Amino acid sequence: MSIERRLPRLFLVLLLALLALAAWQWRHGPPLAASMLALLPQGAGDQLVQQAEQRMQEPLDRELLLLVGHPQRQQAIALVQRLGQQWRASQRFERVQWRLDSDLAGLRQQLRSHRLALLPAADRQLLIEQPEAFVQQRAAQLFDTFAAFSLLPPEQDWLGFGARAQQALNPGRRIQADLGSGALLLEEPGMTWALLRLRSHGSAFDMQAPPAIAAAVAEARAQVTAEGGQLLAAGGVLYAAAGQAKASREVGWIGGGASLGTLLLLLLAFRRPRVLVSLLPIGVALLAGCSACVLVFGQINVLTLVLGASLIGVAADYPQHYLSKSWGDADWHSWSALRATLPGLTLSLGSNLVGYLALAFTPFPALTQIALFSAAGLVGAYLCSVCLLPAWLNGLRLRPPAGLLGLSEKLLATRARLLDQLGSAALLGLLLLFCAGGLWQLHMQNDIRQWLGQEPRLLGEAKRIAELTGQQPTSQFFLVRARDEAQLLERQAALATRLERAVADGQLRGYRALSQLVAADSQLAPLRAALQRLPQHWQPLLAMGIPPAVLQAELSELSAAPQPGLEQALAGPLGEPWRPLWLGANADGVAGLVNLQGQAASALLQELAAGLDGVQLVDRLGELNGLFGATQLSAAQLKLIAAAAILLLLCIPFGLAGALRVVCLPLLAALAALAGLGWLGQPLTLFSLFGLLLITAIGVDYAILMRENIGGAAVSLLGTLLSALTSWLSFGLLLVSDTPAIANFGLAISLGLFFCFLLAPWASPRQAARPMRSSNSHNEARSHYEIP
Amino acid sequence: MKLRCWLGLLLVACLPTAEAFDLDQLGAQLAKPAVVRGPFIQEKHLRALPQPLTSKGEFILGRELGLLWQLRSPLTQDYRIDASGIARRTAQGWQLQPGQDVAAQQSRLFLAVLQGDHSGLARDFALQLSGSAEAWQLTLVPHSLLLKQIFSHIRIDGGALVQRIELVETQGDRTLMRMPDSQAGVALDEQERAAFVD
Repeated sequence: MSIERRLPRLFLVLLLALLALAAWQWRHGPPLAASMLALLPQGAGDQLVQQAEQRMQEPLDRELLLLVGHPQRQQAIALVQRLGQQWRASQRFERVQWRLDSDLAGLRQQLRSHRLALLPAADRQLLIEQPEAFVQQRAAQLFDTFAAFSLLPPEQDWLGFGARAQQALNPGRRIQADLGSGALLLEEPGMTWALLRLRSHGSAFDMQAPPAIAAAVAEARAQVTAEGGQLLAAGGVLYAAAGQAKASREVGWIGGGASLGTLLLLLLAFRRPRVLVSLLPIGVALLAGCSACVLVFGQINVLTLVLGASLIGVAADYPQHYLSKSWGDADWHSWSALRATLPGLTLSLGSNLVGYLALAFTPFPALTQIALFSAAGLVGAYLCSVCLLPAWLNGLRLRPPAGLLGLSEKLLATRARLLDQLGSAALLGLLLLFCAGGLWQLHMQNDIRQWLGQEPRLLGEAKRIAELTGQQPTSQFFLVRARDEAQLLERQAALATRLERAVADGQLRGYRALSQLVAADSQLAPLRAALQRLPQHWQPLLAMGIPPAVLQAELSELSAAPQPGLEQALAGPLGEPWRPLWLGANADGVAGLVNLQGQAASALLQELAAGLDGVQLVDRLGELNGLFGATQLSAAQLKLIAAAAILLLLCIPFGLAGALRVVCLPLLAALAALAGLGWLGQPLTLFSLFGLLLITAIGVDYAILMRENIGGAAVSLLGTLLSALTSWLSFGLLLVSDTPAIANFGLAISLGLFFCFLLAPWASPRQAARPMRSSNSHNEARSHYEIP
Repeated sequence: MKLRCWLGLLLVACLPTAEAFDLDQLGAQLAKPAVVRGPFIQEKHLRALPQPLTSKGEFILGRELGLLWQLRSPLTQDYRIDASGIARRTAQGWQLQPGQDVAAQQSRLFLAVLQGDHSGLARDFALQLSGSAEAWQLTLVPHSLLLKQIFSHIRIDGGALVQRIELVETQGDRTLMRMPDSQAGVALDEQERAAFVD
């Protein structure tokens, strides 16, 4: 008996150590991470691609764009000023920009010396093809009282190259600086919008920042609204904050619902409040899973916590293994029931561990984390169920209602009748038909957007901001490699020509290429030639009284001035928006990016890059979606390997035939659940596949429970039913989640559990699978652990 | 006693300004006529050119409606400036200039000057008025850093109506707008009204 005393003490010491570890890990607040993207695998590309991805992702994660609108222009300016000053003073952000930086001298100088290289493509074409029109437009501009303001005075820019380049720097001319305040304004009929750009400290996806920033934005919204204005905000941080809020809300009420449901179920089934201690393994499992993840990865992701927390629902099943035996044994005693079921419990843990750990070998950090979380959690739950609970349940006399057992027997009898009438083979045939039909209708969907869920209000605001500002940063971009700078500009220019057409066709909102800042040599050569022919066409300028010598001097200055190098152009104040696009020199030459505004179809972008040397489309979204698909395949393969491993493990107690049965039933249940998805018109996603993989683990658990047949088939089936219900309460409830990925997972699990339960009786040893003739099976309390 | 003395001095110091022609009076005076019409001559004095770039035309300022600016030489082009921005007349009718850039703000400023709306001006400029109702001078010096890098100052001369506007740019060029023969009227004629309405 001393072992029955020693085990609980040993476990309590372990638990205390675990609690101490967790307390130490949480000493600086919750070690939680919210970035869903951090759970995605690294891009498959080489180092340059990864460097480029990082460069392009950073602003998406850290930058926030706000529009403060008011029907009165001055009010909009006053509001944005106030917000800008407030936030600048609070130091909550690394950068707060709400007005034009007013260094015009630097802009003027660069515009003057680089104006030839900066001339936009359309104006270049006009000068080459219709020089008269070009000159006439310039003449009219010089007289125009209301001409657009030019940074360069006419005598530094007689031909107007600088003025045209300046216009192109502000595409669409939507955003304009207010001369008085410097505020950046967008005018709409009845509304003036003032721009406010924020850049958060560090990554947007650490745990504390997003809620704080979202709260600051909400407060600003309240302020602006109170003064009759309107506020729009977009930025990765806000999505992160919304995701975090939703996750904690769902953890709260799905978790709460599951706990409450499980509680009620246990009370109803066993009618002894003390049985509720069997929920303890769930708590231990959560604690162990969390601590293990933080120990290995430094922190734990919110998604891991949400999915992992429900996966541990299996933990609630362990005590069911021996609690459910109380129906079979009128003289139920916790330690002896445990001893009878321990081999099955251990087998179940072993096969579950093999199943979960297989997931750790997919390239998805998300799955690796969840696998570790689940494995650690299961071990914790197992130890709790085996070492501690029997002590706490010691002396408890369970008198569960016989009605439940009667139900179980009725179910078995129905099954037996069905089998007698149809035969096992016919039923299998029907099931396979169902599977075939469902699989036929099943479609795959691998879309990253499932991860994030849709937050309609945020999406709406982001869309509105994109419409107003024309700015809609995307993760798609082109990586252009070349031998040297000159070739890089040529290659970017060739790509830009194609992109220009896509923009004109409305397939793309906009783009930014280095060749816009410094024209390629092949573009400058015809331009220079056209300049030499220009004196034949500049009569309108002479007629205005501009002396020929002045124009001649302008011409020679333009033709003779050395063209700026890329680095030089980037260093100037005009170069700022282009700076992230330049990746510099590497061992193979140089590289630069072309970024895009507005989401475009991957296929279209592929087509645009096709046939251009050195141009590579980097489409993280598309790539990830592809990777989702590939992962499904590798996860399925891993699962088969895991099934083989479980088969080997189970051969020891059950022999090959029994083990095959125990392993094949869950696989069949998973297949049927897959077909169920097909019949319901739901897609197979990485997440539903993941759910099905878990189903095979849980299914093995049920099959073992039935196979062991302790207390008889009806008792075992009842244990399986209780297990299935508690599992469904913990995983299946996820099906109501707002995040499509999680809901899809919950649905797959729900279907899988149903089929697992349905198929479990076939795992029973043959002689016990015969229908139970009488209800006196309680009295057949035999320790039915047999090794065939 | 001492305090009273100081107060007295202060009163005396304030007296001349209180008596002189002030911004409110100027505003009221310029806002009086319902319509102002007349020729204009615009001279752009560029440092690099011996002669200014000169253009001529007619303007019609309708109170509450805006400004019609009809350039006639050396080229013909009509503009309309009102609350919605700058429009150019094309073969298809009035076309609003895209964007609300500096030019639009400049023209809004111009409109404010002609209509004597000094509250709008005071936001962006320090205003200095001298002279009398018959011959006054208003000097606008920009407050903001941004404007300071564009204009050094703007000087407006007039009597009953605005006669001369001079924009002096920071970089040395200046634009002189003369309206030597403006006439106050009571109403727009049919054609003018049509130009404002459509």
